Amino acid sequence: MSAWLLMLPAVLLMAAGFLYPVALLARISLNRTNDMGAMEPAHSLETLGRLVEDEFTWELAWNTATLAASSALMATALALPVALLIRGAAPRWRGLLSLMAVAPLLVSGTARIVGWMAILGDRGLINAVLAGLGLAEEPLRLINNWTGVRIGLVESLMPYACLVLIAGLGRLDARLEEAAATLGATRFRTFLRVTLPLAAPALLAAFLLTFVLGVSAFVTPRLMGGGRVFVVATEIFDLALETVDWPAAAAMAMLLLGALAAAMLLRGLLGRRAA
Amino acid sequence: MTHLVLDRLTRRFPGAAQAAVAGISLELPKGALLALLGPSGCGKTTTLRMIAGLEKPDEGRVLVAGRDVTALPPHRRNMGVVFQSYALFPHMSAAGNVAFGLEMRGVARAERAERVRQALALVGLEELAARRPRQLSGGQQQRVALARALAIQPDLLLLDEPLSALDAKLREGVRDEIRALQQRVGATTVFVTHDQTEALAMADLVAVMNQGRVEQLASPEEVFERPATRFVATFVGRAARLSGQVEAPGTIRCGEALLRAAETPATGAVEIFIRPHHVRPVAAAENLLPARVLRRTYTGEVVSLECETPAGRLLAELPGGVPEARATAGDTLSLGFAAADLRVFPA
Repeated sequence: MSAWLLMLPAVLLMAAGFLYPVALLARISLNRTNDMGAMEPAHSLETLGRLVEDEFTWELAWNTATLAASSALMATALALPVALLIRGAAPRWRGLLSLMAVAPLLVSGTARIVGWMAILGDRGLINAVLAGLGLAEEPLRLINNWTGVRIGLVESLMPYACLVLIAGLGRLDARLEEAAATLGATRFRTFLRVTLPLAAPALLAAFLLTFVLGVSAFVTPRLMGGGRVFVVATEIFDLALETVDWPAAAAMAMLLLGALAAAMLLRGLLGRRAA
Repeated sequence: MTHLVLDRLTRRFPGAAQAAVAGISLELPKGALLALLGPSGCGKTTTLRMIAGLEKPDEGRVLVAGRDVTALPPHRRNMGVVFQSYALFPHMSAAGNVAFGLEMRGVARAERAERVRQALALVGLEELAARRPRQLSGGQQQRVALARALAIQPDLLLLDEPLSALDAKLREGVRDEIRALQQRVGATTVFVTHDQTEALAMADLVAVMNQGRVEQLASPEEVFERPATRFVATFVGRAARLSGQVEAPGTIRCGEALLRAAETPATGAVEIFIRPHHVRPVAAAENLLPARVLRRTYTGEVVSLECETPAGRLLAELPGGVPEARATAGDTLSLGFAAADLRVFPA
């Protein structure tokens, strides 16, 4: 009973800060936009239906899913060597190294993006070096397009992947790798046959977490896409604040929420079957 | 024929004041079982890990069948290791675990299957080949680990405290099983343990280790009956400890009593160890002392009597049936022991 009581502040905060706005959003998504562009109270799935029938919605969904999946995959793949290094480090260095891996989280996302602009821009560090070496006649387009968004997203997702992998690999018994070595496995085969299969659940968890974060990412696609990159999150923003079509923005948000919930449910079902 | 040679093997961990293993040298004949016996932190596991190649020695060499393997990585040493935690691959079946080493050696599929079957049959687990480690009991996991180590036909079998994770009830049976299996296969074996009963029961040779050194390397009987150092005398078996002064070679003054010992230092203060089973209630002996019983402990097969004598406190262990075993606190007995049964070390 007292445990429930202790949870009360968290529950109240969740209710006020998350459940209520989501409920409000769900309600707005059932409203209608009239010909004048004003919102009319209604209980209809008209707005939702309009979005589902619109090809652009599906293009956005595809863009968002592929961006998030490719970024999550790269972030997880890049975080794996980092996590392996930290796992193999002497215990007294492990804390410091872990901190360094997640240090980017201490810097505001916007500040990091400004940094990327200085590096990736047409006159940024990379293009300046390439031009200086005479390797490129035209500057490489590394920003204000999908490439730029992907670079920024991978960088911002990596700390999360690192966190999950460091925790996951930490539980992996180093004796298993030693046993493989005594049985004649080289370090590479030990990695393929023992380390990687045992790290699979942690890798999957890291991928899913970064995928979800990637799907809902807004700042990076907005700022590093230079207005040329359209994903669900930027579209919701545009619908709400540029077009001022609240029902459509709310309906789009509900679709995203539904898709993510479905993905999580599927993962839960698959996870239970594997176990 | 000598199969394993450790030559001044040394390992210092960075930052540690003392070497974990400080220049161990020993030789082990082919087919023999060596027990590395010692308290935790004595360097026995580090020694085993250096033999397996999992730890790099700072100095010294490891030779197997005349070949220097010191520079070889573990995967090229062909040694079967059973880890304390067994370290079975949780994502593979028992058969998969046993097959792993054969697969790494490029053994063809058909032969592999046959050898896996044989190895599992050796430990009596053929029926459980398809089970995952977590579906096996501790004793069964231990046998899979043993089968996995033996399947590669190792040049050396290395066991790190293989019984410590088992129930006390199981331990004795598994101990005898491992010993029988080792003798049947003829595998030269090094076995790490902190349990003296295990070491004495299983080994052909016991190396008693302390603070990174081998205090005594000898047969189990020799180690128990004739401990070479004070440490061995205290660590292996129980003993009453008396302090005395050498009066003349062979004669020690111990409190009000004079004791005769087969071997003593020429002069000076000494410490004397007497095993309880060497102390007997007799009428005549080389050393004979009047003793007052202070405490009697009955454990069924033996009765322990803690006695006050002119030489100091003595511990006598008598078979439960003898008349003297009925003595109670306050009774007076005559206790005797042979001069050859005293172990005397400079204090």
